[in-house]
Amino acid sequence: MTASARSRPAPALPRILGQIRPRPRWLELRLLVLVAIVLVVGSASLGATVRGRPDAGADLFDPSVWLPLDVTALAIYLGALFAAHAAQVLAGRRTDQVLLPAVGMLGGISLLLMQRLPQDLVGSGFFGAEGLGQVQLVWLLLSVAVATTVGIVVRSDSWLRQYKYTWAAAGIALLLLTFVFGSDVGGQRLTLVIGPFSGQPSELLKVILVIFLAGYLSENRALLVEQDTRLGPIRLPPIPYLVPMAAMWAIALGIVVVQRDLGAALLFFGVFLLLLYAATARISLVIGGLIAFFLGSAVLATLFEHIGTRIAIWLDPFADPLGAGYQVVQSLHAFARGGLLGMGLGNGLPMIGGRVTIPEVHTDFPLAALGEELGLIGVLGVLGIYLVIIERGLRIGAAAADDFRSLLATGLALVVGIQAFIIAAGNLKVLPLTGVTLPFISYGGSSLLVNGLVIGLLLALSDKGVEPPPPPRKRRLDRILRRGAP
Amino acid sequence: MLSTTRTRRPIGITITHIALAIAIGFGALAGAAGYWGVVVAPELTRSPNDAAVIAASRTVERGEILDRNGRVLARNERDENGELYRSYANQAVSQVVGYYSRRFGSAGLERAYSAELAGLATDPLADALRKFGGNPYDPQDLRLSLDYGLQRAAIRALGDQKGAVVMLDPTTGEVLAMASNPTYDASAIADPRTAEKTFAALQDDPDNPLLPRATLGRYVPGSVFKIVTAIAALGSGAITPETTFREQAEAGDDGLLVNGFRIREGHSLRRGQALTLPQATEISSNIFYALAGLETGGANLVDFAGRLGFGAPLPFDLPTAASQVTNGRGEDPGGFVDDVELANAAYGQGETFVTPLQMALVASTVANDGVLMKPRLVTALEGKRGTRELGPEELRRVISADDAQAIQGAMRRAVEGDLGRQFTSGAKVPGVSTAGKSGTAELGGSGEPHSWFIGFAPVNQPRIAIAVLVERAGRGGAVAAPIGGNLMARYFEEFGQ
Repeated sequence: MTASARSRPAPALPRILGQIRPRPRWLELRLLVLVAIVLVVGSASLGATVRGRPDAGADLFDPSVWLPLDVTALAIYLGALFAAHAAQVLAGRRTDQVLLPAVGMLGGISLLLMQRLPQDLVGSGFFGAEGLGQVQLVWLLLSVAVATTVGIVVRSDSWLRQYKYTWAAAGIALLLLTFVFGSDVGGQRLTLVIGPFSGQPSELLKVILVIFLAGYLSENRALLVEQDTRLGPIRLPPIPYLVPMAAMWAIALGIVVVQRDLGAALLFFGVFLLLLYAATARISLVIGGLIAFFLGSAVLATLFEHIGTRIAIWLDPFADPLGAGYQVVQSLHAFARGGLLGMGLGNGLPMIGGRVTIPEVHTDFPLAALGEELGLIGVLGVLGIYLVIIERGLRIGAAAADDFRSLLATGLALVVGIQAFIIAAGNLKVLPLTGVTLPFISYGGSSLLVNGLVIGLLLALSDKGVEPPPPPRKRRLDRILRRGAP
Repeated sequence: MLSTTRTRRPIGITITHIALAIAIGFGALAGAAGYWGVVVAPELTRSPNDAAVIAASRTVERGEILDRNGRVLARNERDENGELYRSYANQAVSQVVGYYSRRFGSAGLERAYSAELAGLATDPLADALRKFGGNPYDPQDLRLSLDYGLQRAAIRALGDQKGAVVMLDPTTGEVLAMASNPTYDASAIADPRTAEKTFAALQDDPDNPLLPRATLGRYVPGSVFKIVTAIAALGSGAITPETTFREQAEAGDDGLLVNGFRIREGHSLRRGQALTLPQATEISSNIFYALAGLETGGANLVDFAGRLGFGAPLPFDLPTAASQVTNGRGEDPGGFVDDVELANAAYGQGETFVTPLQMALVASTVANDGVLMKPRLVTALEGKRGTRELGPEELRRVISADDAQAIQGAMRRAVEGDLGRQFTSGAKVPGVSTAGKSGTAELGGSGEPHSWFIGFAPVNQPRIAIAVLVERAGRGGAVAAPIGGNLMARYFEEFGQ
């Protein structure tokens, strides 16, 4: 978008075709070609492994053995990535060129993994898709579509900026709905079923949270930074401004208790504290918040048995390797079997009694599965890609035109990064195991769609050429002070 | 400009801090992935709980388990559906070989060596090649040091009494017999037709036949522990073989008073005479060993016991319980509560608990001139792609050869001396010089004491060391010592003198 384009009055809608000013995205194209090569090789390796199993009796010198496991699915997925690229080229926006290939790589890994796992891990399919791999492909395509559409279409952030309390209210309503009407799955109340649709609202909630926090913190930043209430030796922001923070703390612990979802609570509270730090640079707030969270969790752990059990399992899963600690122990064994180089795609994850031994491997333990089949190198690669996504997001935040955009981009990057961290840490026994998804890799529609939305918003925010942010609103306090000034 | 905007820092800097924090967090994840995937991976992947080991065990024809002469102790059978199950030579080996059952899991060597028997975890190169190979598994046969004849003789010697026998070669650490009684029918657990009934009955059995007493049973040692005290006393230099204690000679019928607690002899032999270590060992003087223990000190006693393997599970092919000199809750050196506990522990009646395998190692260390060899059952892994021999391994020198020989002499007097013979009748192997020590472990309250014997033969060139425990059977010299003597005699019959 050039300066001249902005200075002209907006053209009428029917002339939309005349607006198209393609802008090449060579970096994105090169990275996507690299992603495509890696995925084709990986898929061929998986295909050869599956077809070449001793009981399949295949001839390894037959070239057809070395085709990708599912040529059509891979072609559709790669086609979608390049189509997303083409759409962005046509749209002509100067948005980030690394995010799409990075996310595309993770999605491709997810596709291979879901094709490789037993297909009956999911029940019913839709859109003619049957089985884990095909259903995940549909969600991946939708996720790429959401990211691209949002990245191209969103050119103004006023709809996010101006209605932050509306968003907060919607978020709390969504949370309460889940508290009250959510159905319990595996001891956690995460899923909301409305008619034929079911989803996990906490996925959407995390985006709403970031929007609200970005609005709230950017507006009150000056006050939070400079004004103190002294409480003995402790310096705190003015009491009224602590109320939303206390509310966040209460909501996080409420999620732990009512939804039994330690992961979402950790995610929300972690994003909240980091954004608070980004806005205020007051490390004391972060430390205080962490202490409050751990004290609250410690009290809850003594009050509620399931939380105490979780923590005991985390500290020593090997105390009960066949009972309470089973999932984590199986996960750690999977990393051990993978070793440095991995067993190879399709070669790991031994089945006992027709089942993969890691329960919920497709939602909760995809990293363990990758650790077994791709080895330490594969795990480091996947973690590296998350770091790239976070780095791009933070960079967008640091370069943004005003505080709101800056905090919004930072928060969106953190939502993806911290969620990946929490579940990876759970798989590796660095943190207690929680049920959050590994972004872009875990099976699941809610997760993929919402994370697609996050990437789309980051893309939109990365374009500095769009509508400038509104001038900072003068706060009442500022106006009063100014009036008193000479 | 107003002061409100002057101190506000740009957001970019704090974002850099956040990026740093995230990088550290992901670095920790990478470290954890390296820890589980590389550092502890060898241990985890050969664990019997590993999914790959379990999965392979279900499809692969497991390797056989053979005794030292090639006699098959565990082999495969097929049921009417063609599914594999295990069959075992005799109940006598059940506590060592264990069982493998699809329904009820595994125990013994079948569990400890599950990965090798199923053909996994053979060596790193083979593991790497397995990813490319057609048939990925190379099941290993386990060759044991166990002697089937001696093992059966040991079970027969225990008869219908509860107890354990451990016999090993003191120079190599090879276990020749390791009997725990009562035992169980491992074949009946492995056979799918009888598994459920058998397993349920065994679990309800009050005699606990599934417990391998030789390795996991912890018992009060009584006087056999005096050999540990002797090792600590001589090894630390607290006494010499010639040291005598005036207090011991002066202790009359009322015994020795330690902090108000009275220690008595079990008999009135050589009353009033000041005894040296060999003499005191011959007649098993409680007072001499209590004084020797006090002279040695709790720290030295626990230290030397630790060198013998006390305080931690023994390094062995099967799981073992840790033996202890004291429960360590006291403030005195070594963790004793006071001198009374130390004095009692020195002759085996404190808070002291030992496994029969640990006591066999005590005898073995004395016999091997003070050097403790690693006890072992598996001597070779034999697969299609070759045999891997597992050689002897010296764990450490516990005491000097001179000190060990002094104790050898003392233990010989305890079996062959004029007075010793009265205590340990039947321990002597005819025609072979024999050393040993009996023990009678008082348990408090009513009921018979545990009966103990440890020993070795021949004294000059020891080839066999033994520990015998019979639960609640009476005096060590009367019950355990004859079993020990007979089994050592049986060894020389089979292996020649």
